[in-house]
Amino acid sequence: MAASQPLTSSIQPTDASPPCHTPRRINIANHCPTTDEVSAIILDPGYSSVRAGFAGEDTPKSFVNSHYGVSDAGKFTFGDDAIHNPLAGLDIRNPMSKEGIVEDWDTATQLWEYAITSRLTSFKQSDPRTNGLNDPSEIAMDVEEVEEGERTLGEHPLLMTETAWNTTKNREKAIEIAMESWGCPAFWLARNSVMAAFGGGKATSLVIDVGASTASVISIHDGLILKKSVQKSPVAGNWLSSQLRSLFASTEPKANLVPHFDIASKTPVDAGAPAQATYRKYENKIPDSFRAFEEERVLTEFKESVVQVWNGMGRLNTVNANGVSNTDYVKSQPGRVFEFPDGANQMWGVERMSVAEGLFDERAALPIPNEPALTKAQTIPEMVRQSLAAVDIDLRPHLLGNVVVTGGTTLINGFTDRLHNELTAMYPGARVKIQAAGLTAERRFGSWIGGSILGSLGTFHQMWISRKEYEEFGVNVVEKRCK
Amino acid sequence: MSSNDVRDMLDLPDSGSTRPAKKQKLTAPRPVLKGLAREIQNLSGDNPIAIVPEVSAFKKKRYGSRKPVAKWEQKPFKNSARDGDPLVLRHWRRKEEKPPAPPVGEDGNVEMEEAVAPIAEEMVEDSTFAKYNVRVNVPEYTEEEYNAKLQNQDWTKLETDHLVGLAYEYDLRWPVIWDRYEPPLPAPDSADSLLGLVLPPKIRTVEDLKARYYSVAATMMAERKPPIKMNSAEFNLHEVMSNFNPAIETARKKFAEAAFQRTKEEAREEESLLLELKRILARSDKLNEERRELYARLEAPPSTGNIGIYSSSQGLQQLLQQLMQASKKRKSLMGSEGISPAAGPSQQASFERRDSSVRESISGPSGSNNNKKGPPPGPSERRQLTEEEEKIYGVSHHERIGASGAAFRHEKISKPLISKSSVQQTKIANVLVELEIPNRLIMPTVEVGEAYESLLQSINTLLDARKLADKLDGEIKLARQQKEEREKAARLERGEAVEGDEVEGNNKTEKEKSVARSVRGGSVARSVRGGSQGHKRSASVLSATSEQNFQRSKEYRLRH
Ligand SMILES: Nc1ncnc2c1ncn2[C@@H]1O[C@H](COP(=O)(O)OP(=O)(O)OP(=O)(O)O)[C@@H](O)[C@H]1O
Ligand SMILES: [Mg+2]
Repeated sequence: MAASQPLTSSIQPTDASPPCHTPRRINIANHCPTTDEVSAIILDPGYSSVRAGFAGEDTPKSFVNSHYGVSDAGKFTFGDDAIHNPLAGLDIRNPMSKEGIVEDWDTATQLWEYAITSRLTSFKQSDPRTNGLNDPSEIAMDVEEVEEGERTLGEHPLLMTETAWNTTKNREKAIEIAMESWGCPAFWLARNSVMAAFGGGKATSLVIDVGASTASVISIHDGLILKKSVQKSPVAGNWLSSQLRSLFASTEPKANLVPHFDIASKTPVDAGAPAQATYRKYENKIPDSFRAFEEERVLTEFKESVVQVWNGMGRLNTVNANGVSNTDYVKSQPGRVFEFPDGANQMWGVERMSVAEGLFDERAALPIPNEPALTKAQTIPEMVRQSLAAVDIDLRPHLLGNVVVTGGTTLINGFTDRLHNELTAMYPGARVKIQAAGLTAERRFGSWIGGSILGSLGTFHQMWISRKEYEEFGVNVVEKRCK
Repeated sequence: MSSNDVRDMLDLPDSGSTRPAKKQKLTAPRPVLKGLAREIQNLSGDNPIAIVPEVSAFKKKRYGSRKPVAKWEQKPFKNSARDGDPLVLRHWRRKEEKPPAPPVGEDGNVEMEEAVAPIAEEMVEDSTFAKYNVRVNVPEYTEEEYNAKLQNQDWTKLETDHLVGLAYEYDLRWPVIWDRYEPPLPAPDSADSLLGLVLPPKIRTVEDLKARYYSVAATMMAERKPPIKMNSAEFNLHEVMSNFNPAIETARKKFAEAAFQRTKEEAREEESLLLELKRILARSDKLNEERRELYARLEAPPSTGNIGIYSSSQGLQQLLQQLMQASKKRKSLMGSEGISPAAGPSQQASFERRDSSVRESISGPSGSNNNKKGPPPGPSERRQLTEEEEKIYGVSHHERIGASGAAFRHEKISKPLISKSSVQQTKIANVLVELEIPNRLIMPTVEVGEAYESLLQSINTLLDARKLADKLDGEIKLARQQKEEREKAARLERGEAVEGDEVEGNNKTEKEKSVARSVRGGSVARSVRGGSQGHKRSASVLSATSEQNFQRSKEYRLRH
């Protein structure tokens, strides 16, 4: 399978200006018998970020926050460079739903266009309204501009990813935008779990994707999802953030989650002591959504540096052979210190494990206000069980031997070890092998990388839905072709 | 600051004195530099800094000797695997060097044509990957064919169509086909809905789907090409498809499921059982090893010394005397060497034991278990053997010892051989080889010995009979020759041959032959009956061969 071979672009110099495909790169690709570069663009939208780039490369050139800002005047702002400015008084929104599928198509289209044109195809003049560089109110509407917009992807086939639970309507909308708005010569819609499997070098695999909005467990056979095996639940990055908020609210003294933009200066204080910081005052009103968005960044920092999954034997509340519960054991171990933006810092002991324990054990989840309690079926081990139960028995051992772990939240310390422990405990007779990219970027971009591999395969070019086919069969061609 | 200053600071010896000649050489061509450059050069000391001077000659060479840059272009290509879809994609390809433009010849059209169709449809090259597009062949059938051949009360045509469609679409990947199997609901005007019952689609297992598909495929295959005309690959496929048994598959899956769903305890138990098995196997290996060693020892070549003199009871007596004397001598020798008298009795005992072992070794391989134990220490300790034990140990009671006196059992075996002439001996050996019996018994128990003895007797009888038969054969032949010669002479005398005579002669030879045959047959029969008991002989042969088999299998096991 070609997916297992290294991406050709990994040996390619990354200096070239984005849209300029140097023949040099192609030359290398030509030595590789299975690839055939047609400068396809891979677009992998998620709840937390949009990844876009050229097929054949090893990382997406364009990585854009899915959140966007809306000013009082109704102006949209995209990209991390602009949306973190508290002075702009932006209302932060996300075009994706809580399930990680597109909810607001108009904005999603603009966001993706921004992701593509700002990094990939800006070589050509793109629509000045949507390239994020201009204030649309200053530009007079022009008939020509529409045509400009149509040519956004005029020469690039587009491969887009979607979740396994995407709706038919959404899928048809995707091809419509690609064909009508962007003028793509060819289009393909691929499941992001399948792409993640390809990214891990597998065609048959059990994909465990824990992103921002959803966690999913899906069995893949020969590059096709098994629809009956699709399991998804909200125990992902956003859920973990809620857990952290619950934790901060319940600690004594209460941990104060202050975003960076609020702090003018701070003085170091002892652990547990109240913060000594001077706060910034803003003339303009700071919308709640902006504050929550900025708090989320602090939470992600906390996740990256403090949170850990219990990865010893059993679960966090299991009592081990010596009659000591794992919780007590962790309590006896040194914790980790986290300093909030206001300078307050504290040692986090067993709490840093208990916040993530709900991923595997629903009873350990902290209650979240206004949210129903977590059920067993929503935990990752149970999703694996359900997913495997829905596939042919002959396939199950094979799937367990090819588990692919992807998504940003799987980067929490100890996640893969714990997953391995849980799976071997659940299936003591089977050989469990977990494939998880070691590099942070590869773990987060798993599905984009798989798309990059697929889009550069010579044999894939017969699959594309061409413009002519779209014109002939209409939007539902995508249902017929992209299974 | 110069390099000498640096040396000074670092307390290094002045290297200048060590190699003055070189230094001179190096410094000589150095250009005279000024300012900062000189300072830097001084720092470097004797080892000039590797700065490549800028020489314009290099530049010229680099660009002068280069071929023109390879030209690349975005070349359009299509993919013939796209079923006629005209999608044209572009990839970078090396630009082909155009041959110099054709000279404007007699007809100027050449140039014209090129200008008119620069990228004609045919000129767009095909993707090199189109050839990898292969699809499975699924059965095709018409409405009539379905009604005639493929009717099944469990399946509607709609469902069958759906199944075959999925099989094609997913290239017979059964897990996917099963996953996506969602038959369309019957159309409202079909028979079912007329009756008012719209059955929900049946839940079908992978086996159900496979069974249906294979039966359809096999039927259609036979329909298109009768099985007799199929080539072997086709026939095999047909066989496999028509013999698909969903029940077996289901049972297998059930088993696999059970194995997959083992609990931790079961897994652990299985693991421990496997360990146990491993241990048993290891132990049996060891056992086999030991057994092999034992056999090797039993098969050791007999002692070469002449033991004939000890074979009679007198000889044995003599041997005993000798040994006693030897031990006595040794004892006295020991005593004189100052061994404490307290150690005496135990020492003596050990000697006695050793004596017995000496005797044992002399008695050779024929010694069975009972011989291994030394002479019982005293009459009081002698145990009365039961009948079974006697049998096991091969104890036999004799009224009186035969004229030759007491003898070893192995004598009994080797005697009939030794007493024969060497020619006879080789003949016997040949027969034994033919019967695959080693001429030295591997397990010479009493019974085996007896059986072997009777076998030897039988062989003797057989050989005698054969000898007799051969002799008779020879005589018959001779007689016939003589007769023929006589007849020939008579015929020559009479002139031409008379047919009747010939016939008569033929009859006669026939008769003679049959006689010879009967003689031979008789001898065989006799040889069979020759042994004291026919079945015993065969038993011995059996036991010998079975022993051999056992050994062979053991060797086999050892080898692997
Ligand atoms: N090192 C880390 N440790 C823990 N969590 C992390 C880390 N890095 C990123 N995350 C979390 O991972 C999430 C983003 O993951 P990812 O990029 O896979 O999501 P996505 O694909 O955009 O979302 P979705 O799949 O739900 O549509 C965020 O919630 C972020 O907080
Ligand atoms: Mg994702």
